[in-house]
Amino acid sequence: MKPPPASNLINRVILLTLMLLVFTGTLGLGAVWMRQEISQTANRSRALEDKLTDAQRRLDELSAEVATAVNPQALLRQNESMRLALSMPREIQVQRVAVSAELKLAQKRNLEVFRVENASFASFTRPPEHRALTVSLQ
Amino acid sequence: MSKGYANNRLTLLAVGVLVCFLAVGVRLVFLHVLDRDELLGYVDRARRQIVVEHARRGTILDSHGNLLATSRSEITLAVDSWSLVEYLELDRNDTRRDAKAREQQAKRAQLAAILGMPVADIEKAFRPEMKEVKPSQDRTDGTVDGQIKDRWTKLREGLDEPTYDRIAALNIRGLTHERIYRRTYPSGGLAASLIGYLNKEGTAVTGAERHFELYLKGEDGWIESEKDGARRELAQFRSREVPARDGQDVVLTIDSVVQHILEEELRTIAAKFNPHFATIIASEPRTGRILGMANYPSFDLNNYSKAPLDAQRNYAVTDIIEPGSTFKIVAAGAALDQGLVSPASAFDCGITSINYQGRDLKLPKEDHPFGMLTVADIVSHSSNRGAAQLAMLMGAQKFYDYAKLYGFGTTSGFQLGGEVRGILEPPARWDGLTITRMPMGHAVAATPLQIHMAMSAIANGGALLRPQVIQEIRDADGRVVRRFEPEKRSQVLKPSTASLMARLLHGVVGPDGTAEGFDIPGFEIAAKTGTTQKIVDGKYSSTHYVGSFIGFFPASRPEIVLSVIVDDAQVPDGKNYGRAVAAPSFKHVAEQLIQYLDIKPVQSYSRNLVAMQGGAL
Repeated sequence: MKPPPASNLINRVILLTLMLLVFTGTLGLGAVWMRQEISQTANRSRALEDKLTDAQRRLDELSAEVATAVNPQALLRQNESMRLALSMPREIQVQRVAVSAELKLAQKRNLEVFRVENASFASFTRPPEHRALTVSLQ
Repeated sequence: MSKGYANNRLTLLAVGVLVCFLAVGVRLVFLHVLDRDELLGYVDRARRQIVVEHARRGTILDSHGNLLATSRSEITLAVDSWSLVEYLELDRNDTRRDAKAREQQAKRAQLAAILGMPVADIEKAFRPEMKEVKPSQDRTDGTVDGQIKDRWTKLREGLDEPTYDRIAALNIRGLTHERIYRRTYPSGGLAASLIGYLNKEGTAVTGAERHFELYLKGEDGWIESEKDGARRELAQFRSREVPARDGQDVVLTIDSVVQHILEEELRTIAAKFNPHFATIIASEPRTGRILGMANYPSFDLNNYSKAPLDAQRNYAVTDIIEPGSTFKIVAAGAALDQGLVSPASAFDCGITSINYQGRDLKLPKEDHPFGMLTVADIVSHSSNRGAAQLAMLMGAQKFYDYAKLYGFGTTSGFQLGGEVRGILEPPARWDGLTITRMPMGHAVAATPLQIHMAMSAIANGGALLRPQVIQEIRDADGRVVRRFEPEKRSQVLKPSTASLMARLLHGVVGPDGTAEGFDIPGFEIAAKTGTTQKIVDGKYSSTHYVGSFIGFFPASRPEIVLSVIVDDAQVPDGKNYGRAVAAPSFKHVAEQLIQYLDIKPVQSYSRNLVAMQGGAL
């Protein structure tokens, strides 16, 4: 058999080299693209982390400000500066209710609603008005 | 073209490529083997960085979740004036550069307004200057002349976040900042001696800050990565990352409002009596939880550096006093508990001496002359001689054992430390008169907290508990990781004896009691007055006293134990007795606590108690 001419061999080598170059180039570009993606994701992730830290910091700041504003001494100062004259009730001012306050109020209201004097003859001509009272029986 | 020429050309090309590879190889050997250490060091210095992520210190909260201590970020504002110069030099266009410079100058004027500083001071800070360094350190700008660019001129420290946000919005070239976390105490001086503080270096010095440091501090994390030319982190090159673990939150049993009520009362006491020190403690008898513990003098936690060391002490646990008549609960409780006496048993309190174990002992003086007194009277009238006879009835050893059981002479287990044991000598070390003096609260010394807890034992059916000042530990997400439950230390008295003692102590505020008129109708105050002469120059002083009023309420359903102790009150007529200096404050505080804690009045007290005792005595 006759060996292939040298120019053919060189052509093949060049072709293979080119293909190799294209292949490695593609691999390289792929790697670069991947690294770029990794870097972008990492940076986005870091930005989110920074945001989270910042939000936590602001939350702490706000909590501290709220706590400063509502501590008893600050409220007392507000009470004085706004001349609200708010003070702790004294036992003598307190009327303790032994039974359920809601039930007591409902009883009082029912008495008013169903009192005989409240009924009038005019009301017979039209349907009666019903008032529903919701009572929490504890 | 001849075949030989083509072969030569290929050989030449192959040799050329080989030489190139060889050159690259040699260079690689230099880079990776010979110069490796130096180059790695350079890369490390130039690119690698380890960033420490500081853990957020946990907060300290009261029992309702109100913030007592937290960390706040503060900003230190500085100027890198050279950065502005370099920024302007980048622009070759003179007109545009001038416009940029004018724009920056206008922004600096706004900065001056925000900071409240003269514009001239700001401009001075932005003037580029060199600073002197040792020649060995002068490697940053290429020339070794002992001078480098000064890139840090502090402008202002302690800026809050909102102010910094306004400054950052101006986008001023050359302005740089550093963020640090400082401990802040939103309630100022509230519960100062309990909370403690962190000093400027961030070291926990006292109180809960110090004793719960393990929970509070958390663990710093770190990130190993690389940075770019502008010193920004290249997140994609993070090689190792250890996340920071934030500190846990410590929840105290303190109620801010109760604490405030106590501190307000102390302010009144201070204004009225100018005492050496004063302490008020409020706690729950059934759990031992301390709702408030206030001291005078005290200090502002946000200005701790200005407070004298004396004001930073928690007098309730660090100082000892002779308990005085409040100690009579030991003798009375012990004698009743052993069944040696009943409340109706009578003793002659008019005698001046008594025979004890074959020796005639002189009995202590009384404030008022008494005759025959029942045990109930001894407690309500606070008879010194009566208390001495009760102690002698049971003997020195038994009396000592009961005093120990009440918690005297040993630390109470206060969780914030700094507590002293007090003084309670065993009978072997007593002198002949101690058995007559100790029952009235002399020859013994205790902290205000020990006296408070002893009274708490009576209110708690005779069981002595450990004082609880910490409620729970929560992690950064708010989950409870450890809860502190009530801890019983000893059973001092039988529950029936404790109930009986409660009734006898209620007599103290009744007719002829030492604190007559200090009852709150419906709330059965059960308490004991105490007035102790202070020891000055080794002798009992007749002008310096410690006045106290220790008790609980309601007697038949104890919900609050309250102690008011005033050391060396300055009273014009010299009558700085417990009744005069402490009882009014006790009543005033109790009235407020009743409303705030919604303590219900006790109905038909006497009937309930008599029933509890199994009938009338």
